[in-house]
Order: sequence, then C-alpha cells, then structure tokens
Amino acid sequence: MARLKALSSLVLVTAGVLLGLRGLHLALPMLFPTTRQGPILIGALQDIQRQVGFAPLVPAYRPEVLGNQPERIAVWFSPDPACEVIWRTGEHDLVVRQRRGGPQPSVSPLAVPLEGIAESSWWVASGRSHLVLRHMGFWIEIETSLPARDLRRFADTLTPY
Amino acid sequence: MQVLSYLWQVTLHSCTMGIIFYGWVSRVGLPSGRTRMQLLALLLTLPLVTAAIPGRAAVEFGERLAWFNSARLLAVPLPFHFQAGHVMALAGLFFVLVTVWQEVLPALRPIGGNAPAAPDDVVAQVRAKRGWECCDVRVTHPEAIALATGGRPGRPTLLVSRGALEKLTAEEFAAVLTHEHAHWLEGRWWRTHLLFAARLLQACNPAALWAFREYCNEVELECDAAAVAEHDSRMFARILLRLYQETDGRDVAARAALRRRVDELTATETPERDLPPFTVPVVALVMLGVLPWLV
Repeated sequence: MARLKALSSLVLVTAGVLLGLRGLHLALPMLFPTTRQGPILIGALQDIQRQVGFAPLVPAYRPEVLGNQPERIAVWFSPDPACEVIWRTGEHDLVVRQRRGGPQPSVSPLAVPLEGIAESSWWVASGRSHLVLRHMGFWIEIETSLPARDLRRFADTLTPY
Repeated sequence: MQVLSYLWQVTLHSCTMGIIFYGWVSRVGLPSGRTRMQLLALLLTLPLVTAAIPGRAAVEFGERLAWFNSARLLAVPLPFHFQAGHVMALAGLFFVLVTVWQEVLPALRPIGGNAPAAPDDVVAQVRAKRGWECCDVRVTHPEAIALATGGRPGRPTLLVSRGALEKLTAEEFAAVLTHEHAHWLEGRWWRTHLLFAARLLQACNPAALWAFREYCNEVELECDAAAVAEHDSRMFARILLRLYQETDGRDVAARAALRRRVDELTATETPERDLPPFTVPVVALVMLGVLPWLV
C-alpha cells in the first residue's frame, strides 16, 4: 500500500508541475504578445491545414492581374491559429487573413456592412479596399488594391482549399 | 546553433525532472540509499536522451503538439531590448565557468606530483586491500587530516596528508582507509566517472551540477557505511567531526556534506525503508512519457 502511495505521489507531483508549465505556456502570449510564435513562412496552400489545423478559405474569384500562385503564405500558431495568403503581381495585390477564434479584427470607424453578408464590414482607405467578415467560424480579413466592387466577389467565392 | 538548442532542451528537461524529483522525494521522505542514487543517475542521463528525440525542434511541434513550448519563455521581453533567452544564456555561461573552475581544473591537476612516497608500513597496509596491490601511496604536506584517491582502476594513487599520519590512531587510519577503498569497489569508480562525463556534457545545466553533487554525497554515505561495517561507527563519526572542524567555515557545501554524514552515522531513529526495485524503472517510464512533450 505504501509503495502504491509513493507512486501515486509521483503522479500527483508530476501533474502539478505539468499544470504549472501549461499555465505558463498559455499565459505568456497573453501577457507578452511578442512571445507569439509566427509568422512562419510556408511554401504551399495545402500545407496550411497541416500546420495550423484548418483548410484556408481562398476566393475562387481571382483576377488574372493577381497571378496564379500566392507570393507569400504565412501561419501563426498562437494565441489563435491564423494564416495569411498574399497574391501580388505588378501594382495589384490581394491579402487574405484568416483566424480561428479570438476577438474581431479592428475595423475603420467609417466601415459599413456589406449588403447581404452578415457580420461583415467594409471600407476604403488610402486607395485600398478592406473587408472583415465572420465566415464558418473564422474571422476573415480581405485587403486589396483592386476596386471595392471586387470585395463582394471575393467574399461570395470563399471556399476551403 | 543546433548544439545550443539541444543543450537548452537538456537543461529544460533536467530542471523539470529535478523539480518533480525534489517535490516527490520530499513528500515520500525517501532516505539516502539505492533508490536515491538511481534517481540522481536518472536525472543526469535521461534528459540527454529525451532532448535528442527527433522531430521536436520544429516550430509547429512546439506550438501545436507540445504541452509546453519554452520558445515563448525565452522570447519574454526585458528592458533594453533584452529577452529572457539572453538571461538564460548568461546563466548557462556562468554554470559552464563554475564547472570548469570547480570540477574540470581540479580533475586535470596531476595527482601526487612530486610528493614523497609514504612510509613502508602505510604502503603495505594500503596494498593489502583488494585491487590496490599496485597502489601508489604518497604523502602530502597539509597538517589537516586528508586522504584522497586518484588515477584509475589498475593504477590507483592514494594521497595521505602528513596531518592524517600524525593525528589519526592506527584504528582510525584503518577506518578512513576502508572508506577510501570503498570508492573503488562494486563499480562505484566507474559509475561516478561515467556520470561525471554525463555531467560535463551538460556543463551549463544547474540541475546537473546539483544532481552530481548530491550523487557524490550519496557515494560518500555508501562508503561511510562500508567503513562502519568493519569499524566502530562512533569513532568514524568523531573523525568526520574533526574534519568538519578543520574545514574552512566559508566552504559551506563541504561542511554541510560532512554534517549530513555525521547525522547519518549518529542517527538513532530507524531510517525509513527504501522504495522497491521497480520504482526507478516506473519513474523512468513516466519521465520518458512526459518530457518529450516539453520543448
């Protein structure tokens, strides 16, 4: 009985230390945002799911001026898993950021809802069009140098890659 | 860079194990003895293995799968653009210097040197011990009582201080000699030196520094037990007390170790029972299951 007590004591102490470490693991990015791990650059859209655990939502509508392949793909692991995909050629670009959970991304005071799309806000600033929306449990941010009319097309054609 | 990362992982695992062991051993009141020594040996060696498990260095492992990612801890910002990682690196460097100064340099110093040979009767007494038939016995100058061994199995060297020859009675000298000889029996020399090598591999690790010193204290207690098995324990305790009095008061660690040895020899209460032999393999399995998830 005493022997089992000794081993159960080991399990108890180990569990205590592990819980302490886990608490530290979760608390540090909240207390010090710079300790967040990311961005991590990756090579292909299909790698995003393996890295952060969800498939990226990519607009099926992409004008040819943006090019075929993304120029940059990055992921963040904490505090909430997120990814960013950028298409860019010449003077035009499209940036799609996707985050699972967390607070709503900041929006301009001039933002207005995009008609027909719930939980969305769009605005234009410094010649760039912005759209923030909640879709399939994700916060999506779309930012582009293309005209504001393309925002709806991007939003309407978001599909998991 | 990979070596530094590995050493940090070893230190992380070792410190975590050290905290777990310290808390557990304090709770169960584990006495000195076999289990304690095996746990300390485990603490010195297992992190070298768990830190080398492949696939744990990737960022995605640390952020998605690991229970604790120390990269977050190392990235904690400090004033003047420093990060916690810089402080850890400085601490590691400090422990490397401590290791070189207190452990490597003394180990490299030649044993005996030009010290004169011991009197024939002392040499005969020493060479009568099993395995010490070729032992080189030399007398050193200090007036304090001191006996130390060096060399390697097959070519051991025993240093006896002039003070020991003058101040100890024949029976006391024999008891101290039995203690020194015990260091070379039952694989203790090999175990201690292998663990010393493991300790040097992680010179920057404070937990390894502590664990190795604790292990050496346990070996001293084991050798004390061998000495009092053949000689009077109260007499041996009195010798240790004289050594305690002769030791410089600033050498807190040495005096604490001597006091503990005297306490063990003069303990009147029956010591608590050691844990069963399967304990250490179970502990090793638990740690093998836990540590790889800390990166």
